Amino acid sequence: MNFDVISPKTTPELLNAIYDNQSKNFRIGAGFTDLINQFKAQETEGLILINLAQLTEVDFKKISENEINFQIGALTTASELIDNKSIKENFPVLYQAANKLASTQIRNVATVGGNICNVSPSGDMTAALIALKATCHIIDCDGNERKELLSSFIRGLKKTSLTKKELIKNITIPKNFSKNIKSGYEKVGSRKSMEIAIVSLAYHLQMDDKGVITYAGVACGAVAPTIPFTTSACEFLTGKNINDISDSEKEEFAKRVLSYANPISDIRASDWYRKEVLFNISKTIFER
Amino acid sequence: MILTFKINGEWVTQEIKPSLLLIDLIRDVLQLKGTKPGCLEGECGACSVIVNGDAINSCMYLAINVDGKEVTTIEGLENNENPLHQVQEKMLEHGAVQCGFCSPGMVMTTKAYSDKCIAEGITPTREEVKKSLEGNLCRCTGYAKIIDAAEAVYK
Ligand SMILES: Cc1cc2nc3c(=O)[nH]c(=O)nc-3n(C[C@H](O)[C@H](O)[C@H](O)COP(=O)(O)OP(=O)(O)OC[C@H]3O[C@@H](n4cnc5c(N)ncnc54)[C@H](O)[C@@H]3O)c2cc1C
Ligand code: FES
Ligand code: FES
Repeated sequence: MNFDVISPKTTPELLNAIYDNQSKNFRIGAGFTDLINQFKAQETEGLILINLAQLTEVDFKKISENEINFQIGALTTASELIDNKSIKENFPVLYQAANKLASTQIRNVATVGGNICNVSPSGDMTAALIALKATCHIIDCDGNERKELLSSFIRGLKKTSLTKKELIKNITIPKNFSKNIKSGYEKVGSRKSMEIAIVSLAYHLQMDDKGVITYAGVACGAVAPTIPFTTSACEFLTGKNINDISDSEKEEFAKRVLSYANPISDIRASDWYRKEVLFNISKTIFER
Repeated sequence: MILTFKINGEWVTQEIKPSLLLIDLIRDVLQLKGTKPGCLEGECGACSVIVNGDAINSCMYLAINVDGKEVTTIEGLENNENPLHQVQEKMLEHGAVQCGFCSPGMVMTTKAYSDKCIAEGITPTREEVKKSLEGNLCRCTGYAKIIDAAEAVYK
């Protein structure tokens, strides 16, 4: 590896660095747990790295809340999410996804923004954020800002809507309107630790005080080029009472989740195995 | 690029190449060979060191990003009164070291975790101790003794 590094401390310095290097070959890095392996596999002579790790701007780093949503800075690490009591309490799906990512050593540096922008179909925090209908807040080096729903921000395998001028500043998640939630992240790998998901399922359900499902967010990872939000499965659940969902309804829900899966066979699992697992874990979320 | 940071309690200033990895700064520039290069891909934990209290993989970390921070390697655990840290003593007592290649990483990860638990007044369960070591691989011991040792730190 042989690249040059710019380490901005403030947002103006960051935006200037992006602006000044538009005609050059540059990359943005945060925790580097994906980038270092990429850099090792390519020629990095002449590459400029814009290093976000020394940025001191709170908007990129803090977890905060207002009346309508939670805001999570793009540079928040998986460990910081896990240690945040409000996240654990309100969004178990996100807590569990962050906690099932790699190892302590990786979680201590891996950022939310990096997980999203690496656009892997098995990105754990990304799957949880899609189930939570998160929105990306994006800034560019001309001073513009825009927002986009995470599920549409991801455009395909390794593709996002980001231009060369842009980066993610933070992510917002709408607050729960009910305290009655069923939320979790199922990750299936070939072993328990340090495993990229073979299949994952992120689910976040909100019920009224009688148990009627008023919000359903379900996304599945590692079974398609992107992480789909399973709209038809979510619509099927909405309005049903969580306490009396019949076996045939559970099967119908799982079938609908499965309709979003278009997995590949690779060294980790066959497409057949991935579909079987997805169907089975989808059926069992009501038992958890 | 000029880097100023604390290594094992001492501030140092060092000129480095911007793309240098932390593991290479530690082993090749500072000649501290206790931090081990295993997979060099973030999988095995042999290269674990502590940066500002957190265990990280030094093979997946840019040296420039320790600027202004405090880095502890296995060499930094020794002091005049105690040549071995408590975690190291427990590893010896429980026979948790065979070839020893994974041991510095195991010790650093366990130290970072136990410092946090002790600060928060928590005694972790065996499952939690196991989880804290999920990023450290060992080819020799079969883990049981390492986990016994890590658990004994709280007794
Ligand atoms: C051993 C190992 C195990 C792993 N296991 C898992 C796992 O179990 N689950 C999982 O999901 N991932 C896993 N990963 C992948 C990785 O750790 C995560 O994707 C992590 O969240 C990436 O974050 P980062 O900050 O390190 O990203 P970086 O490597 O810094 O960046 C990744 C990409 O995002 C871009 N980027 C970063 N921040 C921004 C931003 N704010 N705006 C725009 N672009 C940005 C970068 O340009 C780059 O393209 C693993 C990696 C390793 C090495
Ligand atoms: S050498 Fe760094 S994790 Fe294996
Ligand atoms: S003791 Fe040999 S690798 Fe762990």
